[in-house]
Amino acid sequence: MLKAAFDPVQMAIPFFVLAVILEILLGRFTKAKANYEARDAAVSLTMGFGSTVAGLLFGGVIFAVTVWVWHHRLFTIPMTAVWAWVVLFLAEDLTYYWFHRLAHERRVWWASHVNHHTSTHYNLTTALRQTWTGGVAGTWLLWLPLTFLGFPPAMVAIQKGISLVYQFWIHTEVIKRMPRWFEAVFNTPSHHRVHHARNARYLDANYAGILIVWDRVFGTFIPEVDEEPCRYGTVKNLANFNLLHNVFHEWIGIAKDVAGAKSPREALGYVFGPPGWSPDGSRDTSHTLKARWRARVEADNASSAP
Amino acid sequence: MDKALLIQLGGSLAGVVLLVAIAAWFGVARATPPLDAEAARALLVVEFPDHRPDAVWIAADGAGLIAREGALALVLYRRGDGYVARDLPWSTIAALRPSNGRLLVRLSDARPVFAVADDVWPPRELA
Repeated sequence: MLKAAFDPVQMAIPFFVLAVILEILLGRFTKAKANYEARDAAVSLTMGFGSTVAGLLFGGVIFAVTVWVWHHRLFTIPMTAVWAWVVLFLAEDLTYYWFHRLAHERRVWWASHVNHHTSTHYNLTTALRQTWTGGVAGTWLLWLPLTFLGFPPAMVAIQKGISLVYQFWIHTEVIKRMPRWFEAVFNTPSHHRVHHARNARYLDANYAGILIVWDRVFGTFIPEVDEEPCRYGTVKNLANFNLLHNVFHEWIGIAKDVAGAKSPREALGYVFGPPGWSPDGSRDTSHTLKARWRARVEADNASSAP
Repeated sequence: MDKALLIQLGGSLAGVVLLVAIAAWFGVARATPPLDAEAARALLVVEFPDHRPDAVWIAADGAGLIAREGALALVLYRRGDGYVARDLPWSTIAALRPSNGRLLVRLSDARPVFAVADDVWPPRELA
């Protein structure tokens, strides 16, 4: 009930390795779109390895807190019931949606998550570009209500692992579109390309883990359009391939901003405001970038109207 | 640390090294030919859509550009198989002095080097 009998992510590692090799070879020997830059791939893969090590360091604390919550649970949900897995699948995926949205829309959590978005490539190694600072950021707290409700910690851990494994294969440009019914319900390479895009029109969209339905429900769904190919990375792309810069740059940025804040309110804004927030509005947020993009589109439409 | 964990970490590290080697050997990077006037214009439109630079200087090796919009300098340089965009005051760029055909630009997070045909700076395109 407390510790998972198996870890879907660990079990999937051989598949991850083989899939990356296959994608590289497809890019080399066929017309499939699969660009690899060795230094970019090295950063992604080292981030994935480091994330495992960081997980070991913080795992004890997270496990202890989870066990404490489990001892104060409301119900005891059986791990062997099919209905329990169905409910958990939906509840965990909804939790993931809100975690992911928060991780993009609030700077302190963006600082932890931004690493996953710093690659200017979109290939299977990008999926493995995982954070080292998730434990510090505390986003794992969002999954505790599931345990409090009565889902065993082992069950939640397995479902989280399944979600992470699902999200691996969608980090590719090799697959254009899945069948329409699949695109309507599930997160797909096309939907997730939009999520990783830095084009203004695509910012802050498609936060889904497995079910894209959540984005449709909460109004954050944006479809990929062929006339505007996705450009990947962050709005302000990193200037180098330095691994530690990649891991800590946003945390350092927050620390510098807070140190220079003129009031507690400003400091709170720098930490909990949207990425790019500044007291005088002189920096760009996703909101301002999108507003300027819309203004440009409207101006273009007006100038081309008869 | 138990033995199983060490084996797992060691295996993961070996996997990372193997994949990086395969990516370096077989990976197909994006084509980034030297910038010409047309490519430079297209890149500026994408990276600085709200700006209308008055003048553009392309590095001698085509690996970057510096554009000027009034008191602002728009800087683009190649990193891997993509480009990094930054802006900074034109006065900072104008005050630089190239040496041995190289112009070092100090950004807050990087030190890109631009190839200059001669050591005259700023070039007449931007002056």
